[in-house]
Amino acid sequence: MTRSPDASLVGRVTGLARACETGLLCAVLAAMVLLAAAQIVFRNLGWGGIAWADEALRLMVLWVAVLGAVAASRGQRHVSIDAFARLMQPAAWRAVQRLTAAFATVVCAALAWQSLLFVRESAAAGDLALGGAVPAWATQVILPVGFALMALRYAILVWSGPAVADNRQPAAH
Amino acid sequence: MTAVVLVVLTLLGAPLFAVIAAGAMLGFQTAGIPLLAVPIEVFGIAETPILLAIPLFTFAGYVLAESRAPLRLVRLTSAVVGWIPGGVAMVAIVVCAIFTAFTGGSGVTIIALGAALLPALLKAGYDERFSLGLITSAGCLGLLFAPSLPLILYGIVTETSIDEMFIAGIVPGSLMMLGLAAYCLWRNRHVRVPLSEFSWSEVRAAAADAWLDLPLPILVLGGIYGGVFAVSEAAAVTAVYVVIAEALVHRDIPLRRLPAIMRDSMVLVGAILLILGLSLASTNVMIDAQLPERMVAEVTQLVGGRTSFLALLFVFLLLLGAVLDIFAALLLVVPLIAPVAAQYGIDPVHLGILFVANLELGYLAPPMGRNLVVASYRFNQSILSLYRATFPFVLVLLLTVVLVTFVPQLSLWMLGR
Repeated sequence: MTRSPDASLVGRVTGLARACETGLLCAVLAAMVLLAAAQIVFRNLGWGGIAWADEALRLMVLWVAVLGAVAASRGQRHVSIDAFARLMQPAAWRAVQRLTAAFATVVCAALAWQSLLFVRESAAAGDLALGGAVPAWATQVILPVGFALMALRYAILVWSGPAVADNRQPAAH
Repeated sequence: MTAVVLVVLTLLGAPLFAVIAAGAMLGFQTAGIPLLAVPIEVFGIAETPILLAIPLFTFAGYVLAESRAPLRLVRLTSAVVGWIPGGVAMVAIVVCAIFTAFTGGSGVTIIALGAALLPALLKAGYDERFSLGLITSAGCLGLLFAPSLPLILYGIVTETSIDEMFIAGIVPGSLMMLGLAAYCLWRNRHVRVPLSEFSWSEVRAAAADAWLDLPLPILVLGGIYGGVFAVSEAAAVTAVYVVIAEALVHRDIPLRRLPAIMRDSMVLVGAILLILGLSLASTNVMIDAQLPERMVAEVTQLVGGRTSFLALLFVFLLLLGAVLDIFAALLLVVPLIAPVAAQYGIDPVHLGILFVANLELGYLAPPMGRNLVVASYRFNQSILSLYRATFPFVLVLLLTVVLVTFVPQLSLWMLGR
């Protein structure tokens, strides 16, 4: 996925956004690995574990999931049925890619909006998370942000078309 | 009408999560439920403790795949059993199975192990078509062993004990491996392979090289099967272990590569968990519309006995596996089929094993099973030549999957049921 550095403003902005996404994703995942390991050590030493750790770990799973999903939208790596798309002529395939991306844009925008309503409701109710240390909305805010970023990604795909011309490359995971 | 549009979009390759989300939102709209319910269901990801295992195991699997651990494992096992007739083929089968169990995806196995296994097989005197067929098909072994992600997902979706799933998979998974092994021996019975000499010094050198990789499967599998670790604890131990072993001690992976590996592995996790979260919402819509009850009523009316139901399910899952990713297939189809299967007295553990075993074969199904595509790319072969190469292996695996489907004792015997 390495592309030649794009010196334009748009290129620099998307490059920066990508770096922020990756940085946050790695930070949360690293924290998750360390906290999960620390929790096992503490329990086995008979110190009883960290009180807020289990809830924090569950929230981190949500965060890496959403950030990972954003990264997946960027690289067109969401699960889809590609058996038929692979058999299409490249030109038809490019048109179809734009159509499905338009659909995904609308859905992600709707999800972002509904998530925002969800977060607003939880903020208005004054819910707390992590043993009362933080307001619950601060842990939920990844949902509207994530879906909005995904909508943006798909909108860019509709606008500029697929970055690769070839529909016969394997998607390995 | 909207359902038709969604199906067409799915077949055209629209991201599956968007189709599921659209379906759930339309369903809630029709039922007069606020659409706010969808993000609330997605937030349910943060309320399911066992999910912690998924990012940790996936990350560990990706680190292993990028390290040189697969090569060291092939070297060691070749040194130990390479001198036995058929030994190198056995190595391929066992190493692929272990590796796929840890990485959860068989495409990864082909990429990580192909570079080591293909030359080893050719050098041992196997012809190219046989070797390609073996590696491509052995890539899907191992999904029935701990800590495979599909088994974990099935446990989460049906609220079946994941430890029981891991234990139940042992016999069916071994059966598939034995089936392939038997075929390899039979197919090459006339080939006089120049056997390599057994050499203690090579075994010692290979073991010294792999001393840090070896404890991992023992630690994790022993820990899970022995009941020492909960699944998510085993995942945390694995993640820490592989980073220390492969990045810090062996230095196979430069530390500056780690962020890219983290990101890549979380792309898969995000894709799976997003579908999981949204399918919680769409499953609610289906339950609201009493779809499972109607399925049960329809199917029990049409399909007489348990055997014919299993036969129908067998065909359905093979077709499904050919077009749909195993994770998505599990998340979407299991909630609908499980109540029907319960009507026929099928044990949920057996159902899970037969689901995974059948869907596994989808990796090898024409036209575009993932293993075929990945192998054609990796080894620079036409997909047609891979159909031919894998065909006999697929037949053997199909036979074992038939046994796993129709003989529940294979799955349940270890559980003492």
